[in-house]
Amino acid sequence: MASIMRTGLLRPAFQSPAASSRMLSTFASASASATIKRSSPLAHQLRPQFVRSTIPKTTRVAAFHATRRTQILPPLPQKIQGTVNDPAPVPHPEYTHGSYHWTFERLVSVGLVPLCIAPFAAGSLNPVMDATLCALLVLHSHIGFESCIIDYIPRKRLPVLRAMADWALRIGTVLLGLALYSFETNDVGITEAVKQLWHA
Amino acid sequence: MASQRVFQLGLRRAGVPSLTKVHTAGRMVQRRLAATQHVPEAEGQQILAKQRLNRPNSPHLSIYRPQITWYASSLNRITGIVLSGGLYVFGLAYLAAPTLGWHLETQSLVAAVASWPVIAKVAAKMAVSFPFVFHSLNGVRHLSWDVGLGFKNITVMQTGWAVVGLSVAGSLYLSLFA
Repeated sequence: MASIMRTGLLRPAFQSPAASSRMLSTFASASASATIKRSSPLAHQLRPQFVRSTIPKTTRVAAFHATRRTQILPPLPQKIQGTVNDPAPVPHPEYTHGSYHWTFERLVSVGLVPLCIAPFAAGSLNPVMDATLCALLVLHSHIGFESCIIDYIPRKRLPVLRAMADWALRIGTVLLGLALYSFETNDVGITEAVKQLWHA
Repeated sequence: MASQRVFQLGLRRAGVPSLTKVHTAGRMVQRRLAATQHVPEAEGQQILAKQRLNRPNSPHLSIYRPQITWYASSLNRITGIVLSGGLYVFGLAYLAAPTLGWHLETQSLVAAVASWPVIAKVAAKMAVSFPFVFHSLNGVRHLSWDVGLGFKNITVMQTGWAVVGLSVAGSLYLSLFA
């Protein structure tokens, strides 16, 4: 502990204007109360022999880039929406889009498990089972593609493309249902078709 | 105590407007050497919007350590898209075939496939059976999580690798022997 008798020890702690101003990014104002001029020989003596000279030149250059120069998906034209003080928007909860949808999706998946094993066990399926398999496949595929669209085409960022994708999927699913109905009725059905193609 | 004396002396030293010892907070004032100008808010937001286009993206998939958790999850999605996408394409083509003059009924398809070389048939079967078996087994893994089973990290890893192994074995069996 520096004692009042040894004030000489305390003096260096106050006497470093040049060194502190160099270390900080802000400039110390050279006011009339400045004690040592920055360019004076004494300031040069007090300025610390800095570490810069000990860092090898190779490591000083930042050669590491975490981002590629041209992005795979470049950013879209930006529009500033709202201010930084607006709260994050909370979506309105809908059970049909949330909990019920989840349950329905799992029920369809569970139903598909025995229906996909049965053809291997029984050879081929009777038309009713085949039709059930087709229906569940159509539903399962639709729900799966819907998840992909929701994940990769956010509505806020790409509203038009998202709407187009949604409608393309709905139309495609309806057409697939028609196609499988036609295939089932006028042709042999998907389990029999796969079996024949497999042993072609 | 001596520390009290030092403290009082320090206060006295700080109180004296001395030329050699005092450093007020004004010494650390930030000095900006660039002149600023007033910009209306709309124009400022334009500048911000343009600057946003220059912002880099943080890497994500390229730097995340490969693990069976997310590799299996992405493979589940990819195999699902392959299978369902194929089904959708076949369905739409089947509906459009009469208009376009194609023949996609079972007879024509079987006749066409029968004329392929064996290696092409085996390759096609593997290309269909591996996604099917993997997606089915991983689907069962997902359903087990939905009822709350198999959440320990070690279990997730074991079931993941088991699904991969069984898929390879199952698709080999279906392509070569079934």
